[in-house]
Amino acid sequence: MNLQKNTYRQQSDLANYCRTNILSGSLKVRKDRVHHYRRLVFNVVDDSLRSAYPLLNNLLPPKQWDLLVKEFFANHACQSTKIWQMPEEFYQYVISKESALKKKYPLMEDLMKFEWTEVELFMMENEAYPSFKTKGDWLNDVMIINPEYKILSFAYPVHIKNAKYITASDKGNYFLLGFREKETGKVQFMDISAIYTVIIENIAKEIKLIDIINALEGQLNFDSMDSMVQQIVPFLKKLKEKGFILGFKVE
Amino acid sequence: MNNYIGIGFRKEFSDEFLSSGKLKPGFIEVAPENWMGIGGYWKKIFKQVTEKYLVLAHGLSLSIGSPEDLDWTFLKQVKDFIKEYDIQIYSEHLSYSKCDNAHLYDLLPVPFTEDAIKHISNRIKHVQDFLEMKIAIENVSYYTPVAAEMTELEFINEIVSEADCNLLLDVNNVYVNAFNHKYNAIEFIHGLPLEKVSYIHMAGHEQVEPDLIIDTHGANVIELVYDLFDYTTRFVRPVPVLLERDFNIPDLEVLQDEINKLNRIISINWDLQNESTKKHIPAAV
Ligand SMILES: [Fe+2]
Repeated sequence: MNLQKNTYRQQSDLANYCRTNILSGSLKVRKDRVHHYRRLVFNVVDDSLRSAYPLLNNLLPPKQWDLLVKEFFANHACQSTKIWQMPEEFYQYVISKESALKKKYPLMEDLMKFEWTEVELFMMENEAYPSFKTKGDWLNDVMIINPEYKILSFAYPVHIKNAKYITASDKGNYFLLGFREKETGKVQFMDISAIYTVIIENIAKEIKLIDIINALEGQLNFDSMDSMVQQIVPFLKKLKEKGFILGFKVE
Repeated sequence: MNNYIGIGFRKEFSDEFLSSGKLKPGFIEVAPENWMGIGGYWKKIFKQVTEKYLVLAHGLSLSIGSPEDLDWTFLKQVKDFIKEYDIQIYSEHLSYSKCDNAHLYDLLPVPFTEDAIKHISNRIKHVQDFLEMKIAIENVSYYTPVAAEMTELEFINEIVSEADCNLLLDVNNVYVNAFNHKYNAIEFIHGLPLEKVSYIHMAGHEQVEPDLIIDTHGANVIELVYDLFDYTTRFVRPVPVLLERDFNIPDLEVLQDEINKLNRIISINWDLQNESTKKHIPAAV
């Protein structure tokens, strides 16, 4: 490195000041102006987090939000070169730390997971779309699904209810299917039950519905194979209408 | 109308830009960081824009002034992006936005010192070797010098000369710095290696204190900056000129008026009909 210790120190002190608001005595800058750098840098980070987490921002009192963002930016070295990806680091940071805030808002991690997943699904790179035919046999043909999806599980219904009104009594097992529509690029979410997460995961592995149902039969409270099929197929048809199930495999 | 004046492409106006035809830039400029490694809606929009307009790239995260090593993974992504969209100019800021392995997402001023010149020139050379093209380095606005041992002008000159790179001359930044640090903008312009200018930026700013202007890109270009542009372009060969507008985006007609105004100035100052200058035309759209 050609850089001398002192030059490096100055750069490090200035960057550190922008991250922490702590001004080193040895930093040789105009003290009447350097605060603009802290302000400008912090605003960029804060804006980016607000736009990624509008629901969390709305839930937390402004002071708590501000403290959280300041703490994150001071303690965490952001790695994303693309600023739209930086908010994921905020989520990971919150997950990794025990905090009084999370005790006060037990649904916080779920809410952040929900909000980040929406950004991620909207922005992520295109997946290769497999070829498929639109007509087929629900039971005996392999179904082809939209490759741009995620299934999330929550302890709190952050995808259904305004976070402000969610209480301890809402705690349970919730599942959410999120996917990106090919034509519009819009992200769609669907609340699904646990059994459908298993079915979708198996469909994704190109297992035929008949085989999925056979494997599940013993574990579920259905009177018969027929009643299972009668329940499941309409739901799958709905997923096809919405553009999650694309069609059937061309054998 | 020539194709020398471009616009910084923003998501905020993409819909109207593509559908209305109110804004007719000669080319567009984008930050690779905002458009690479994405898919879905924005990828589709970006594809439409790049099919219509020539694209130049102006980076945000390279952090050429960082103390630490270059991020080669990132540079590989930039290189692929440049190739994919056939980008003729990739520029970056003479500043740093990453330090101690942490990105800051804004531009911090580098100490004007001899060792920083060596360090940064070397980094520019490495980037140019890797990308197999010259890059253009932009003079940035700054609000305080940091442990400076020389003037900004000496610093820029030495870097451009040692790194053998091009200069992205931001005329608004010259104006802002001249105001903030009380020097003469015209003298500053004449002190720059004008033969190395390959690209020009124009933007608006905001005066926040009696003696301080912040480079916001959030307002129209002011008359005094147009004057400085008019003056400067008499001494620079024809190069692409970009209007930067990142915040408070007005009606597209207003941006087009600014483009027209820049066009009028260069039509007088540059002999754009002359065959020998045509090779610098950025966009034959
Ligand atoms: Fe600029």
